[in-house]
Amino acid sequence: MVIGQYTITTTPKYNFPQPTIDTTLPQRFLEQSIHSLKQVRNQSFQLNQQNLQQTSTFDDNPTTLQLKRQPLPLTPRTQETLIAAVDTSTIKIGETSKGIIIAIRGATIWKQNRNYRYTRLGPFIFHITEENKKEVYNTLETAYFNIQYASNHQATPNLLQMPTRLASLLERWLQAMLAKTVSQGIILFDGSLTSGTIDTPVQRMKEILNTARRNKNIVLAFSKMTTLRVNGYLITDLLPEHEPPYLLETTGLQFKPPTVLLGDVYVARLNKANYAFRLDIDREIPIQHRMEAVEKLLGNDLYMQSYPETLRLAHILCTFTANEVLAMQHFITRKHGIQIINRPDMHRLLFGPFGKGESYS
Amino acid sequence: MKLYKKEGNILQILSFPNENVEKGDYLLVEDADAGKALIVQVIDVQFACIPGVLEELLRTLPDGGEPIQGEDIDPLEIAPHITYIQDASLLICKIRAPLENEMLSPSSSWLPSRSQSTIKKLQIPMLLKLAKVDGKLPIILGGTKDSSLLTIDASALDGRLNIITGKKETGKSHLSKLLIVSLVGYKATVVIFDLNGEYSSLGMTADGKRNMHYDKIHALTPSQNFKVALEQLHLNVILGILSHALHLPGTSVREFRRIWKTLKEKNTLTLHELGEAIRNWNCNQHVRDALFSRFHALVNSGFFTDNAAEATLLEECLLKAKEHGGAIVINLRNTSAIDRQIVVEYVLGKLVDSLTSWKLKAVFLFAEEAHLYLRDTYWDDIVTRMRHLGIFTTFITNQPDTIRENIYRQADNIFLFNFTNEHDLDAVSRAARVDAETVRSIARDLPPHHCLTLGKVVRDFPMVARVRAIDLKTMGETRLFFKDTN
Repeated sequence: MVIGQYTITTTPKYNFPQPTIDTTLPQRFLEQSIHSLKQVRNQSFQLNQQNLQQTSTFDDNPTTLQLKRQPLPLTPRTQETLIAAVDTSTIKIGETSKGIIIAIRGATIWKQNRNYRYTRLGPFIFHITEENKKEVYNTLETAYFNIQYASNHQATPNLLQMPTRLASLLERWLQAMLAKTVSQGIILFDGSLTSGTIDTPVQRMKEILNTARRNKNIVLAFSKMTTLRVNGYLITDLLPEHEPPYLLETTGLQFKPPTVLLGDVYVARLNKANYAFRLDIDREIPIQHRMEAVEKLLGNDLYMQSYPETLRLAHILCTFTANEVLAMQHFITRKHGIQIINRPDMHRLLFGPFGKGESYS
Repeated sequence: MKLYKKEGNILQILSFPNENVEKGDYLLVEDADAGKALIVQVIDVQFACIPGVLEELLRTLPDGGEPIQGEDIDPLEIAPHITYIQDASLLICKIRAPLENEMLSPSSSWLPSRSQSTIKKLQIPMLLKLAKVDGKLPIILGGTKDSSLLTIDASALDGRLNIITGKKETGKSHLSKLLIVSLVGYKATVVIFDLNGEYSSLGMTADGKRNMHYDKIHALTPSQNFKVALEQLHLNVILGILSHALHLPGTSVREFRRIWKTLKEKNTLTLHELGEAIRNWNCNQHVRDALFSRFHALVNSGFFTDNAAEATLLEECLLKAKEHGGAIVINLRNTSAIDRQIVVEYVLGKLVDSLTSWKLKAVFLFAEEAHLYLRDTYWDDIVTRMRHLGIFTTFITNQPDTIRENIYRQADNIFLFNFTNEHDLDAVSRAARVDAETVRSIARDLPPHHCLTLGKVVRDFPMVARVRAIDLKTMGETRLFFKDTN
């Protein structure tokens, strides 16, 4: 299988997938990470954690959306098929007088021969300030993706958007790598196939899907949460009385330009658990193949609570635990001489027991 | 290391993997600004409660218990920091003493600064110096974990009640022998109730040669080389044997007293004459029967003789020991339970007599599994009356619940070897000089031949040491069926 092309060689310092894939982006991630942290040397910072998962931010609610009530029943296909998934996570681990310190990590996971395997990339720790955010973002944008995206770039994200935007860059790169290296498999994305947004240009997503198709892969994008509604009800709540697994088809979903939907949207209920998810399937894939892909997913992966295990593991493996946050704080304190201080929580200070604390603000 | 919490006299200290602190270690919590320090001892090492550890462990086991295989590309090398944090431990420490100007302070109300205090290991030699565990009569018990010697002073055993306890085969007898030869070396008189015949060869080296203590070790085996003539006995000693070892009723004791006095006046105190006197004594038939049965028990013990040449004078051995120091080993190995009590009654009675009349200054008594031969009333006697007379007892047992609670309460020194049984640890925890947490936590994990020393010998700073080897001939080995075939 092509996934075997992730040939890893150990170097004294870094260890990146070689040589069939372009590792420019993670190299730049590392360089920018170290460079940005050097700027924060001997500064104090305020502890502050916020674990951010990549979430879809463009579920506008078009009024034309319809949900077909007739389920498309599914039969699990046990034909051996590689299932791969990717997810990224970012966390703000503190603030400095000039900016924020964030960490980003991505994970790809694949199931083959009944075994799960993973590759985790990161964490990359960045010190993002108003001064360096443009440099960091543009350097990473141009590192792997076409220069044209960077030049077309609307505006450098603001400081608070930077964690998700950088994580999004890493996620797209990981998705592209999977699309390149997996063949005849099913690739699971976290989120939707909506593009044309700030961090997901249409061309970039199209390229990823094209590459996947060239390698006879099918991309299935699962959204943990959706805001799409029909007649005021969330599409994932409108489940018919039908024995799962099944898909419900949607029609009439259109977004205002420049947002473009590159997949068709379904509601997937994969087992008897009373949960359903929005599922986007590459629009260029013939209907028959889409159904087969979901059936292969059913036959090859576990799906507790109606959610594919491979994608769940990708999420779990990239998420930062409190222990890791402590370790990263320890790392930046030891390696970069940053003094850890606790600024008083103004909410607590001013409102006492009535203050919810800054972390909730 | 960082100070984390204090509850009562328990201090919790956060320790990182490279700091390598273990149970039993001493730490010095120094507050330079206050000019004071706390001496604390680690009594337990726990995992520090690190947030997120559960999630960390859970995500490595997603698939039926099989660890998920994968590759972590960690260019910034954060992983060592994660394990460093994960492996942090929480040291549960008992506050032993505050220190001010290099002097132990009696006050214990002081709390060091959490942010400013520095914490470092306190090496045993330094602790011994601070606690002034020194003296002119050193006994090297063994080596501590930091390769220093744990030396106690023989005078800390003088006038004290000691207990040596631990599971079987953990080294209790070995420590007893070490203490005995050390005391003998300082010209002390030692009497040993040797239940398993282990101490008879204290005067021999492992290869069977005589050692420096050879002439000072007097091994006495009842009914063999240890017999007594009735005329050597004081009336109160024989009455003690009859009433306590042979349970002679009070009325019969009164008759026996008369018979004894009559024979003494006639100067015919022999076994034969005693038998005849009982036979012909004008008394109630039941009393006569009772006296006769006890008389036969005395005769059958083989411990009494009419032959003056056969009779070994315990008193002589004691006097010899008084001059040059020595150990009188009473070998009770092949002695029946009744005979054992007779012998013990005799020896203790004799010791009390000698001490009362100042023939002896003091005696160190080592009693192995004393519940097998010591009558009930002696327990209280030993810790009160006999101690004041100059019998300083060391009990050695692997069944700590056989020693009475009041003995534990009054014990001055406890040498504790490994115990795993909760019930046993409970028994030892009753000792007044010990805190239960220390006993429970440290004794449970002691390796064989390692001893937790508690009490006055270590100035109440519990210390663990591996008891040093001594070149003595091993006796009292358990007889094995498969010994030759293996």
